[in-house]
Amino acid sequence: MRKAPLIVCLAVCGIGGTLAAAQKTPAAPKPSLDQLLQTAGRAREENHDEEAIRLYRRAVALEPESEQGLWFLGTLLYEKKQYPEARDVLRQFMTLRPDAGPGWALLGLSEFETRDYRRALDHLQHAMAAGMGDREELVQMVFKEVAELLIRFERYDDSLDMILKMLDTKAEQPDLMEPAGLAGLRLPLLPAEIPPNRRELVDQAGRAVLALQTRHNEEAESEFHRLVTSYPNEPGVHFLYGAYLMGARPNEAVPELERELEISPTHVLARIRLAEAFIAQRDFDRALVLAQQAIQLEPKRASAHEMAGEALLAKGQSADGIKELEIARAGDPAVSRTHWDLMRAYTAAGRKEDAELEKKEIEKLQQSNSSSDPSAGGEIPHDRATP
Amino acid sequence: MLTAPVSSAAVRFETVAAQAEAARAQDREADAIRLYREGTHLQPAWWGGWWYLGTLLYDQDRFSEADAAFRHLLLSPSQQRGPAYAFLGLCEYETGSYGDALAHFRAWAGAGWTGSPELRDVAVFHFALLLTRDGRFVESLYLLASAAPRLGDTPELSEAMGLASLRLRYLPEDFPPAQREAIWLAGKAALYAAQTHEQFDQADEYATRLESRYGSQPGVHFFRATLYGFELKKTEAENEYRAELKISPNDASSMVALAQIDLEKGELIEADELTRRALHGDSKDAEAHHVLGRVLLAKGDLNASLSELETAKQLAPGNPAVRSHLAMVLSKLGRAQEAKAESAAFIVLKNKEDVMASAEVKLGEKPREKIH
Repeated sequence: MRKAPLIVCLAVCGIGGTLAAAQKTPAAPKPSLDQLLQTAGRAREENHDEEAIRLYRRAVALEPESEQGLWFLGTLLYEKKQYPEARDVLRQFMTLRPDAGPGWALLGLSEFETRDYRRALDHLQHAMAAGMGDREELVQMVFKEVAELLIRFERYDDSLDMILKMLDTKAEQPDLMEPAGLAGLRLPLLPAEIPPNRRELVDQAGRAVLALQTRHNEEAESEFHRLVTSYPNEPGVHFLYGAYLMGARPNEAVPELERELEISPTHVLARIRLAEAFIAQRDFDRALVLAQQAIQLEPKRASAHEMAGEALLAKGQSADGIKELEIARAGDPAVSRTHWDLMRAYTAAGRKEDAELEKKEIEKLQQSNSSSDPSAGGEIPHDRATP
Repeated sequence: MLTAPVSSAAVRFETVAAQAEAARAQDREADAIRLYREGTHLQPAWWGGWWYLGTLLYDQDRFSEADAAFRHLLLSPSQQRGPAYAFLGLCEYETGSYGDALAHFRAWAGAGWTGSPELRDVAVFHFALLLTRDGRFVESLYLLASAAPRLGDTPELSEAMGLASLRLRYLPEDFPPAQREAIWLAGKAALYAAQTHEQFDQADEYATRLESRYGSQPGVHFFRATLYGFELKKTEAENEYRAELKISPNDASSMVALAQIDLEKGELIEADELTRRALHGDSKDAEAHHVLGRVLLAKGDLNASLSELETAKQLAPGNPAVRSHLAMVLSKLGRAQEAKAESAAFIVLKNKEDVMASAEVKLGEKPREKIH
């Protein structure tokens, strides 16, 4: 139902219109190809889709590199829900027109339908990078599918960033409650994969996350409270609430995160957020224990090394602290908090040149990300791990 | 006059080949593909041309065309065929020719699993997916687990391990969506257990969640039991196998696994009954014959034990444990020469367990479980 208008838009006012002009076909194309394309075009405009598909197939058989033929054949097959064939045709098309954002979009959407999720994500992200012009409906579809796929690939924070971006636009939004709930609970499922008996849990979490993202703070508070009350033993729920409280009322976050660890004893991010809370409370011993446990569970997690480094520095163990921060920096060089920590640590250790390098990195990051001093703004390190 | 066209074609080939290499080096893929096509047309025995044509097409996800190019390499000298088998398997996987793909992956394994590390990882992964689809879950998990320490915690790997662990004969792209959460939980548990330093705490956490949510589904308790087995928690494993048999009374894998635990505990009557029940369901179950042979050995019925173990050997010639037990029975029967031969076979097979042995050695068993 939703796809027909999209294709109409693509076919009539979109990429198809420019393709005829962009054809690489030599100046004197084979008349039969021209005739076929014209006849197929008329059939398409008159909504005789099956006939149009048949004619475009013939055109592509005659000239396998006919961009116009491939594009319209691909879009029509997609519209007819013949996704595997649409995918194959669009792949061929994209080898000729790798600059065509809407082409990547339609290819990614076809791959999504054939459950080739890795390629779908790659190609939809290609579409976002290449741009899809003013095709608002297509843009919204692509963003939503990307947000959903990021969740399935366990990139929850990236997905939440996408959802936030979508909410920040003025365009009419698709329903984001389920993706928001899945990302918040860190469940790597597509909406269609949510088991029926867990849908209410996901929806409840989604309502809370969306209320927070849209800055309806009272509603968010109420929704989070309802979530925790309704699902007190569900993995992920107390972490989500605790992460929210870290921003709203940090002192109340600790019991929630500790409760999460009772339910999910190997929860790495709960440990990291707890360590962060204890550092804020200047309880560096507890922070260090939690950070070291997180490192043991997931040695490559940069934010765990960050917390360990901060705790060690605060305890006066400068050399070990710097070592941990350098591991954090290597794991995720784009986090300004790490560079601030290192700059201060190097300065205290008399390593002026190293401190200067960190300062330059901070300036670079500020230019690209508008980063600020986390000590003033409370930036969350590495993993947002929060709505 | 007669030699001129030949010479001209040869010159043309040299020119095209050089242009193709240059286009490839400059990342002009479309030009390179066109030129490699022309070059291989001019000289069909240009194996390097077919190879690059195939890989360029494969990189563009044009699997049918890539498949056609790689097929030419099957006529090439043997050392070039190995990686071509792997690519053929990958292309056929993508085009849905699963039977052909599996056959080519087996040929690749037989040729020594050759290719770059990247090709090996991708091919092993898809080989394992097809083994799961074929009901050869143990073999699939063997391949996936061997890749796990290198590949780490990736969503694709955990999903593949989840399917095999729950003994679901599906590919990642065709399982029922409602099963996704169970597959994810099982996959995470299996993946953590397969890491170089087994991370059983994390594995247990995911397995507990799996059991609490999906404990009434077939396969979940069997998987939990297997995990407990890795952790050497035999009592817990036994309880889980029994729980699985309540849900899946005819599950031969659980019967045989339980019989092995019984055997270790000296409870030979139940072990005997369980293995015979398993064989009643599938008389070609190699492991059931093997365990029954061991039960009969423990009972002192040497001739019956020998018969069962001989059957197990026929069905699973690559299983070193069968040969070891055969050697023991033959020795007890006073057939020293045969016992010695079986001991030697045991050592050879055991030594192959730690290397990438050929498919015939590693993956020779027939599937036992048929869930779907």
